[in-house]
Amino acid sequence: MTTDSFTDRLSDYLDDELSAPERAALDAHLAQCAGCRGTIEELRGVVLEATSLNDRAPSRDLWTGVAARIAPGSQLRGFVSPFRRAISSRLSFTLPQLAAAGLALMVLSGGLVWMARSGDPRADFPPISAQVADGSPANLADPRYDEAIGDLERSLEVVRTKLDPETVRVVEESLATIDRAIDDWRRALATDPANVYLIRHLAEARQRKLTLLRRATLLGS
Amino acid sequence: MVQERSLEALALRCATVLSAADMTNDVAQAAAGDVSAFERVYHAHLPRVHSLVRRMAGGRDTDELTQDVFVRVWQKLGSFRGDAAFSTWLHRLAVNVIIERFRAERTRRQRLRDGDDIFETIAAPMRSRDLSMDFETALTTLPDGAREIFVLHDVEGYKHREIASLLDISAGTSKAQLHRARMMLRRQLRPGSA
Repeated sequence: MTTDSFTDRLSDYLDDELSAPERAALDAHLAQCAGCRGTIEELRGVVLEATSLNDRAPSRDLWTGVAARIAPGSQLRGFVSPFRRAISSRLSFTLPQLAAAGLALMVLSGGLVWMARSGDPRADFPPISAQVADGSPANLADPRYDEAIGDLERSLEVVRTKLDPETVRVVEESLATIDRAIDDWRRALATDPANVYLIRHLAEARQRKLTLLRRATLLGS
Repeated sequence: MVQERSLEALALRCATVLSAADMTNDVAQAAAGDVSAFERVYHAHLPRVHSLVRRMAGGRDTDELTQDVFVRVWQKLGSFRGDAAFSTWLHRLAVNVIIERFRAERTRRQRLRDGDDIFETIAAPMRSRDLSMDFETALTTLPDGAREIFVLHDVEGYKHREIASLLDISAGTSKAQLHRARMMLRRQLRPGSA
């Protein structure tokens, strides 16, 4: 065995994970290798430090956030979000906000399924990404976006008579739901402008609206 | 003098027993829906849980993950049968919540592969540091996979077979990652080590 292969076994040696012959071979190597003896002593020191770490409480109060989520009648009761990575503990969502977000997803999914079934090859959504910088307050004012939305809404109004009434109904429901979601995200952002989670979802909702309008208009044109 | 010491020791033992009894009562009351009792349970275990989360997550999202753990504890309290110590039960639950979070972010194997790469790239520059680093800070610089395994094994006392089961990896991978984590910490904590 080489010195490197012995070195790779030093943790196993420390943890008594080696067989008797392996241990004997390593003991023999250690007897003549000062480098490995030094390494194993340092590794022993690392392990010792790991076992003597002290626990410490957080520097800020976390109970308020926990209490809000477990309180009877809480709108966030039991809510353990996979997205909580970016949620500030200061943030709370109302039930209507959560419901709107969920509904938006359902309606939008329904709309997409419907478009796919109608044979529209453009029913696939492009990847959505929000250009946000962690920790930076959001500045989502974009006149070009508003202008594009306005143009598309006017175009849709022109072609809506060419669309199937069921199509119009689904599109309008979807747009209304997305608008409510956008309003909710905006209100939440007003109280926490640097929250990346909110910024990302607002950007996503806005892009969904744009995409839906564009596709609905294309269907009627 | 000896008698005084004996009395002090007895008082300390009594206080410990009473404290444990209080905690048992608090757990039972919390399981029955008493939020005040749960708050006492929370405060009693917060430093332990927060430290576990901080070390395993490398300091990222520690507060949010800690809150997630306690929300999950509240949800699962009814399933605590007292077969193990409450602190042991809570600790296992906390580890599961943390690992679930990691799983949601990316697959375990990808994490470990990333970890290998990071280990190779950041271990070398650290050798040139001439200031010794705080152990907890050094932990945060470990690759995710290696750090989780190091914390579970060396800090929390899990066995490789338990870690393998928790993380859905082989015991051999767990051993290899542990060794790499230790070697990396050794280099960072003792600049100049080869």
